[in-house]
Amino acid sequence: MSESTRIELPQGTLDLLILKVIALEPQHGWAISERIHQISGDVLKVQQGSLYPALHRLERRGWIKASWDVSDNNRRAKYYELTRAGRIALGEQAAAWRSLTAAVGLLLDTP
Amino acid sequence: MLTDALFRLRALFRRSAVERELDEELRFHVQHAIEKQVAAGVPREEAARRARLEFGGVEQVKEDCRDARGVAALESVLQDLRYGLRTMRRTPVFSVTAVLTMALSTAGLATVFTLGDTLLFRSMPVEQPEQIVTVSSTRGGPTPEGLVSHPDYLAFRAGTRTLSELAAYYPTAPLFVTANGYAHELNGAVVSANFFPLLRVRPALGRFFRGDEDQVPDRDRVAILSEHLWRTWFAASPDAVGSPVKINGTPFTVIGVAPATFVGVGASPIELYIPTMTLRTGYRWCDDSLAPTCTVLTMVGRLAPGRTADEAAAELTALMPQAWINAPKGENSGIAVAHPRGVTSDPSQIQMLRVLAGVAVVLLLVCCANLAGLLTAQGAARRHEFAIRLSLGAGRARVTRQFMTESLMLALAGGAGGILLSRGFVAIIAALFYAVDGEGHPRYFDFSLTPAIAGAALVASLAAGCLFSAWPAFRSALGSGRRMAGRTSTARWSSGRWLLGAQAAIAVGLVAVAALLATSASLAVNGSSFESSHVALMRLRPRLLKYPAERAQLFQREVMRRLAALPGVESVSMVGIGAVLGGGNTVVGFPNWTPDQRLRAGYNEIGPRYFETLRMPVLSGREFDDRDGLRSPRVAIVNETLARRLWPNSSPIGATIVARNVVQQVVGVVADARIGSRTEPVQPFVYAPFWQNPQQVDSRLAIRVAGDPAGTLPALIREVGRVDPDVPIAETIILPLQLAEWARPVRLTATFVVYAAGLAVLLTAIGLYGTLAFAVARRTQEIGIRMALGAARARVLALIIGDGMTVVVAGAIAGVALAAGGSRFVAHLLYGSASADWLFYLAGAVSVVVVGFAASVMPARRAAAVEPLVALRHD
Repeated sequence: MSESTRIELPQGTLDLLILKVIALEPQHGWAISERIHQISGDVLKVQQGSLYPALHRLERRGWIKASWDVSDNNRRAKYYELTRAGRIALGEQAAAWRSLTAAVGLLLDTP
Repeated sequence: MLTDALFRLRALFRRSAVERELDEELRFHVQHAIEKQVAAGVPREEAARRARLEFGGVEQVKEDCRDARGVAALESVLQDLRYGLRTMRRTPVFSVTAVLTMALSTAGLATVFTLGDTLLFRSMPVEQPEQIVTVSSTRGGPTPEGLVSHPDYLAFRAGTRTLSELAAYYPTAPLFVTANGYAHELNGAVVSANFFPLLRVRPALGRFFRGDEDQVPDRDRVAILSEHLWRTWFAASPDAVGSPVKINGTPFTVIGVAPATFVGVGASPIELYIPTMTLRTGYRWCDDSLAPTCTVLTMVGRLAPGRTADEAAAELTALMPQAWINAPKGENSGIAVAHPRGVTSDPSQIQMLRVLAGVAVVLLLVCCANLAGLLTAQGAARRHEFAIRLSLGAGRARVTRQFMTESLMLALAGGAGGILLSRGFVAIIAALFYAVDGEGHPRYFDFSLTPAIAGAALVASLAAGCLFSAWPAFRSALGSGRRMAGRTSTARWSSGRWLLGAQAAIAVGLVAVAALLATSASLAVNGSSFESSHVALMRLRPRLLKYPAERAQLFQREVMRRLAALPGVESVSMVGIGAVLGGGNTVVGFPNWTPDQRLRAGYNEIGPRYFETLRMPVLSGREFDDRDGLRSPRVAIVNETLARRLWPNSSPIGATIVARNVVQQVVGVVADARIGSRTEPVQPFVYAPFWQNPQQVDSRLAIRVAGDPAGTLPALIREVGRVDPDVPIAETIILPLQLAEWARPVRLTATFVVYAAGLAVLLTAIGLYGTLAFAVARRTQEIGIRMALGAARARVLALIIGDGMTVVVAGAIAGVALAAGGSRFVAHLLYGSASADWLFYLAGAVSVVVVGFAASVMPARRAAAVEPLVALRHD
């Protein structure tokens, strides 16, 4: 897919996506980025420069926590996993997102 | 919340570890991105390039991550502090000068804070001082000035519920004490038995009064010593408990010793305590000291838990005795309850502290102006540094903030140094001015440092730091962005010169006022219409032994005769009322005047040769002498103010007046005794002979000796003892010391202002020198050109000196106006006439100009020594 068709990700939603991606299992930064890329079918492009600041922000808020581990190619990597507070936040943010998009969709559909 | 804080703390304190982790994490990511590209067939270098492009600037990402950590602000402040320290180490001379200047100026303010806190605000040094209240009666006004009688006190104590305890005391009982071979008049207190338990004080030795020892008048003659008395008279021996002491002629037994930390509830330390049932021993002016008519006691209470002073005041007002409700003016009619604060409410002390505070603030302002000037000069030299930092992307605000951080660090260091210095100053002031009172008794003040004082001083130094750094910081950050070249124009009237001029003006004002105050202090102690040197004083108190008047007067006559006969004694005289050079009051007028027409005047009964002893000039007529006795016509002497008022056109000699209901004939006119300052009007005074009042018992003697009066006092005391060894002698002090105590405000203020003036002149000189030296260094090229074009060295000298002197002279002229205003500000402390004040203003201006000249000469000589060729090559 060419560069111009990739949609830039708005700031606030990046947090939501990160939380969702690591909800299943702990991941390191690269894997999170690749996953978002894959699952969205190449539509969503994460600006690498905003991924890591977002990860640190979430860590500071206490929604994810980090630990160092050995990755599959035997190198040290920083893995992030969801905390309890993060799981609750994920649920809230997802619900908010759905109602927001539903409302916007309704507005756009009316002539 | 907690995780947030922990995260930030880790980011702050394990910074290097956090940075390493971040680096590793990002590296990992980029590595994977490269591998992904390589796996898709892209050559490694191309893959590496693309990966880095995609990632964005690594440093920028790191910066964003750092911001996300949430400690960026704090980190940059720490960075500023570290940078500031480095800069201070790079310019040690400047840093030391700045810190020293701040310290010397803040020391003045910290000293005033300490004095003010101890004198006016500090709570009593007892347990839970917030529960302690003083309970006093009011007499016709809201200010408590009354005292209560013992039965009143008992009634209040029995009826109160808002106060859990109420004690009574009479704190300045003059007790003539004999014990262990020592005999002296001491400051004693008569206290109720619950006084010490109320204040939660524990005895150092023995015990305090029991309740049953304070029930029956004069039955239990028990006394408690102060720790100081125990140490000096009883050598701190445990045998002191149980030993006998004689107090005002009555035998007592010592039962305990108060702890060293307790010196009573006022500024005069109490040496001896006796119970209220022995009030008769301590207080001599009532026939029955425990009667309802004898009002002599003050009360102190402890609030019951949960009660306030207002509730206590309301309740005690309801408990007032019937006689108070419709009491005439001047009698007890109300109750006031207050928390004791500080040790004095004397308005002259409060006024003195205000003046000192004003001077300290002015001194701090001079310091700020000085440092602002120095920083501006230094800022010009750091222009390169600022320009580079700005061009590298630092925000203007950031650079200004870093500059101010440096200055605030200097200011804080100076503030801390000032607090240390102030401890020394306070110790000196305490020793010079607050050690003894006017009667020779020692005084005790706790001038220790509290956190509040230190905090206030540091806040003041921070404020000063903000003040002196604001303008130069602003200017540096503004101007340097544009101009990287080192060449700057030599503005003639830059802000630096205004600052210098202001400093010079303030210095002139301070020097003039300091000189005025110092002269006034000397006048106050040495006397302008009398001579105080070589005069010794003592107080004879036959009343304490209940001598009848004839026996007392015989005693007095014999004492006078024998003292006058001693070698070295020039003359002896006495007063019957109040202190020497003071007295009481009366109304005086002509015999045909109604009482309403009579003038208020001072009054005293003096012995013969009084004015000769004090060297007060007798303007006409004569002094009292031996012919003015009980059987002679009643005579009086008036001072010139009274003479002018009653006889504006004629001589008073031979006229008849009435004073204290005695018809007297005026036989002499004396000069006014000017013991007050300019703002205190001279009192009209009338003097009557001591020996014409048959009721006079006590007296205060004034003895003029040829040699040192302090050294002669012991011989004088011994001589009095030979006449009658039982009569108590008190207040043995020399007249200059007593006047010094009365003049404490002017003496202390003079010392303080002299210090401030000296510092201000020094700072102005240093500031001028620094500015000129810097200007010479900058203008070296210009000077070289001038010389190459033919200017003589003398011309260059004159140029530089003229530069400096213009500022100083302009400042000095402004300073004369400041001096005139300043002298008005301290007019209540100035003695003597005001007609010569302009001389002091002139002297102030001249001295600062001379100092300015000296400070200008050195840089000027350096300028004149410049070699033209060298200068022209100078960059």
